[in-house]
Amino acid sequence: MSKQGKKETDSVILSQAESVASPALTDPKESPAPEAAKVSAITEMVHLIVFKLGAEDYAIKIDQIKEVTVTPSITRMPRTPGFVKGVANIRGDIIAIMNLEERFGIRQVAEQEGAGSGVTYTLVIEAKEYSIGVIVREMPQSLNLAVSKIDKTPAFLQDINVHENYIEGIAKVDNRLIIVLDMYRILTSDEISQLSV
Amino acid sequence: MKKILIVDDSFYMRTMLKNMLTDAGYEVVGEAPNGQTALELAKTTNPDLITLDVILPDNTGLDVLKGIKADQPDMKVVIVSAVGQEVIVNEAIEFGALAYIVKPFSEEKVLEVVSKALAE
Amino acid sequence: MKSREQEYKEIFIAEALEYYDALNRHISVLEKNPQDDQALAETFRLLHNLKANAKAIGYLQISDVSHKLETAFSLIRSKELSFSQEVVAVLFDGIDLLGDLITNIDNDTYGEPDPVLMRNLDIIVDSLSDSTIELAKVQKYNTAKSLSLSDLIYIPIKKLDHMLNLVGELMIDRDRIISLSRELDNDELKNVSSHLYRITEDLQYSVMGARLVNIGSLFNKFPRIVRDIAIAENKEVNLVLEGQDIQIDRNILQIITDSLLHLVRNAVNHGIESAAERVKKGKPSTGQLSLIARNDRDNVIITLEDDGKGIDLKQVRDAAIERKLIMPDVAKALPDTEMLSFLFEPGFSLAKEVTEFSGRGVGLDVVKNAIDSMGGRISINSVKGKGTTFILQLPTSIAVKGALLFEVDNIFYAIPLIHTEQVVAITTDELHEVGEVMVADIKGETVTVVYLHELLNAEEADMRLGDKSKLKGQIQNIIVVSYNNRKLGLIVDKLYRQQDIVIKPLSKPLDTIDLYGGVTLLGTGKVCLVLDVPAITRFFITRR
Repeated sequence: MSKQGKKETDSVILSQAESVASPALTDPKESPAPEAAKVSAITEMVHLIVFKLGAEDYAIKIDQIKEVTVTPSITRMPRTPGFVKGVANIRGDIIAIMNLEERFGIRQVAEQEGAGSGVTYTLVIEAKEYSIGVIVREMPQSLNLAVSKIDKTPAFLQDINVHENYIEGIAKVDNRLIIVLDMYRILTSDEISQLSV
Repeated sequence: MKKILIVDDSFYMRTMLKNMLTDAGYEVVGEAPNGQTALELAKTTNPDLITLDVILPDNTGLDVLKGIKADQPDMKVVIVSAVGQEVIVNEAIEFGALAYIVKPFSEEKVLEVVSKALAE
Repeated sequence: MKSREQEYKEIFIAEALEYYDALNRHISVLEKNPQDDQALAETFRLLHNLKANAKAIGYLQISDVSHKLETAFSLIRSKELSFSQEVVAVLFDGIDLLGDLITNIDNDTYGEPDPVLMRNLDIIVDSLSDSTIELAKVQKYNTAKSLSLSDLIYIPIKKLDHMLNLVGELMIDRDRIISLSRELDNDELKNVSSHLYRITEDLQYSVMGARLVNIGSLFNKFPRIVRDIAIAENKEVNLVLEGQDIQIDRNILQIITDSLLHLVRNAVNHGIESAAERVKKGKPSTGQLSLIARNDRDNVIITLEDDGKGIDLKQVRDAAIERKLIMPDVAKALPDTEMLSFLFEPGFSLAKEVTEFSGRGVGLDVVKNAIDSMGGRISINSVKGKGTTFILQLPTSIAVKGALLFEVDNIFYAIPLIHTEQVVAITTDELHEVGEVMVADIKGETVTVVYLHELLNAEEADMRLGDKSKLKGQIQNIIVVSYNNRKLGLIVDKLYRQQDIVIKPLSKPLDTIDLYGGVTLLGTGKVCLVLDVPAITRFFITRR
């Protein structure tokens, strides 16, 4: 996949961080070390991209995102699961586009009068081997947050049995509750890798 | 087909060994040019036998042998070594290597030692 | 034809030159810092390898000099020899001599190594730490010679894979630029883009050419293999090889290696009879096995033919019926070639016993999958009592494929030409609903026809493949594809041109969807899905 010659015309936000696979992905054994480091550094900040799925706020760490772009034209791929919207040509790379609302069974909120311009955005997420685009309906926002604001083990996570693996934690900011997803886990989950019909 | 992993830092030696072994109907499941790769491949390819050179760029063959044996005590290892390394070869036999082949080797010798080791 | 000896020699020289360069690097480090253990260990290891390799291939001078130097460095490591200035000079000379010997391997006029230098090396090695030894001055090698680099380089196949991918990307952009230049109708842009077209074309062929290897590099392994199996099976087999100098992409050759091995083993094990049996049947006692490669336009055809007992069609038919792969009455009417294609079904094997060399659970289905995976085709002919022939049709290169472009439900698709038989237009009246499917008489042959839109897009619960009323319009464009000797007509909405396409494999996580062999980008920038004919055929069979 070409990393050069990236043009930025239709990019909304372009992460400078070339999405380097996190240590947790490349070597699971090494993950406890950075975790420990985070605990000790209380003021450590994390940069999140916040977007809406259904009525709730979700977020992904910016280093998991290659770019955010206006959703390009998507070519539908017959006989793939419903949450796979198809493939799109993003700067010469062919990327699978997914709808996480459908994938997680999140109830879609009826579009409000005048609110929807019909424009959707795509977060391009690139891990070592996987790259996917995730469609979001509102312009995603950037948010800097102290790592300590993310509650990694809220009690209720034990009560939901389906997607808890993908939830890295819950952040509370100004009465908003933001669900922080770990995209790498979504990408490497068996469910996605067993797409074949 | 019996699976064999070749550990040798010389591409020439690996090519010769690989050709000899595949011609004889063995499956060469991996080639490691150094000790670290050897340890990884020993685990991931799970061969029936490993041919091990004793002088490697990162570890000594002896360390690699110990590493393999610590993980897979029953792994069959045959030492491949040039003359002049008798001390190491003897030590390797003590650490559980089944046999050794001296470079330069003949095809007959390699196949004889390998098939004997596999039969043990 | 490149023999194995030639290949060994090239590898030896390339590696030896690499060692020589590394030795020069390390010894320069050591001259400044004689205590650098790592440089010492590396120097020792490289000399040790060079000695063993040279001895194995038979370059005894190189092995002798390496041995002396290796001994010297092992003495330095064990502190029995000090790294004095005189010693360093001799060691430098010794390493230069190694370089000379390596570069002059093919030079018959190169004489013996300088005897003074050889004696100096002996003195170092034999006299140990005797500091009073006199090291005769020898002519310094480095000052007298020019530098030379090897003409041969070894490139990891991964790098070539990467280059080929980049060329693929470049071609897609090129097509886009050409299409833009036409839209803009700018003459200068048109000129530049047609030049770009030619350059990209040349570049593509150069990169593809760099990946080509002689098919002999695989074929030449077979005489030994056939001999061994024949001995184990107590048979007499004469193997004939032809077309070893035909060239093919290295990765394609890699993919078919196991398949060809399997087919050859099968031929000797199950095809060719024992000498006694052959004589009884009036055949020569020695069985004939031929492995022949030839070029056919952009493809390489490999034929493997034996004169053994052939395949019993009745056995195949019975087995297919028994496994419920086919209805008995249909089986009776099926042409022989189609019946034989059942041999490629998963788990379908006629070998009754597993022998030492073949049949261990690997069936012809695995062979077929391997050939399919690179867009090739395999077919089989057999006459009972006379022998069996396998024909493998392989692309020469993986990058560019001729394909047919079409549209179904506003989506662009392509099918590689290797799987297309013909394109016809017929009226809806000529299509007949027979049971759950549609059939049509296409040039005298009854072919099953399927409406791709229905197959791809209908809800699976109400899919009706035999319903003509689903069709739009009076004229139907049909692409007849063929897979495993079975023809299938695909009705498409719009048929476009034939075009060379660069197939981009689907990246994870979509790579597991086997209905699509990949995607290609059209000149317009639109994504075009490449249909995988084997998968679409299988999909049709399961939904029928």
